[in-house]
Amino acid sequence: MASMRRPAAPPISGKFCDDPVLDYKDTDNLRRFLTAHGQILSRKRTGYCTQCQKQLKQAVKRARHLSLLPFVG
Amino acid sequence: MTTVYEGMFLLDNQVVREDWKKAKSIVTDALEKHGAKVVCARRWDERKLAYPIRRRRRATFCLAYYEMGSEGITALRRDLELNENVLRYLMLAREGLPEGERELAAAEDAADFNAPTPPADDAPETHTPRRREDGEPEAGADEMGEAKAVPRDADLEEADASGKDE
Repeated sequence: MASMRRPAAPPISGKFCDDPVLDYKDTDNLRRFLTAHGQILSRKRTGYCTQCQKQLKQAVKRARHLSLLPFVG
Repeated sequence: MTTVYEGMFLLDNQVVREDWKKAKSIVTDALEKHGAKVVCARRWDERKLAYPIRRRRRATFCLAYYEMGSEGITALRRDLELNENVLRYLMLAREGLPEGERELAAAEDAADFNAPTPPADDAPETHTPRRREDGEPEAGADEMGEAKAVPRDADLEEADASGKDE
C-alpha cells in the first residue's frame, strides 16, 4: 500500500551541516531557524547534526536574553 | 590567569542621547574597576527590542572585549545588575579577539566619529487610563488603588432586618 505521508521538506541548512558559525549577534541568520512564533525548529527541519543543533539552541537563547529575538512570537 | 571575554551591554538610550562617550564609559569604568583590561569597546547597534526591558522599547548595544581573571567576575556582575543605565548584559569567554574588531573600535575613537542619535520613540511606557471622547474615564479604567463601593456586612444585616419587619 502506498504511503500517505507527505514528503519531508528539504532541510534549511542544506544537505550537510559543515560546522556552521552560529553567532547570537547574527539574528537574520538565526531567524531562518525559527518558526513564525519564535520557536526553534526541530533537527529534522534544520538538517543539523546534534552538535550544530546545540550551537543553534545556545545562540538563539543568548539572542533571546538580549532581546534580539523574541521568546514568543 | 586572564581570559578574553566578550561582553554585550544594553544601554539606556536616555544616557546615549546625552553623550555616547559618557555612556560607553559606564561600561568601561565598571570593567576597569574590577581589574579588567579593556581591549576594545564600540557601539554595536541601536535597535528596537524584541520585548520591553524596564519599560524601554529601544536600546543601544555596546560590544566590548576585555581581559580579566575569574576572581572579579562576581563583583562585576553585581555592579552591572545594580547599574540602572545597563538594562541587560551578556558576558562570554572567547578564545581570542575576532578579526577586524580592533579596527572597528579604533574608527569610533577617531575625532570625526559621531554616534547616531537614537530615535525619540523609546520613552518609558507609562500607564494612562483610557478616556472617552468627552474626557470622562471609562467605567473599566478606574485607578488600581481606588476600591469600589462594596456593601459592608453591617449594611447587609440592616437590609435583612428591614425586610423582615415588612
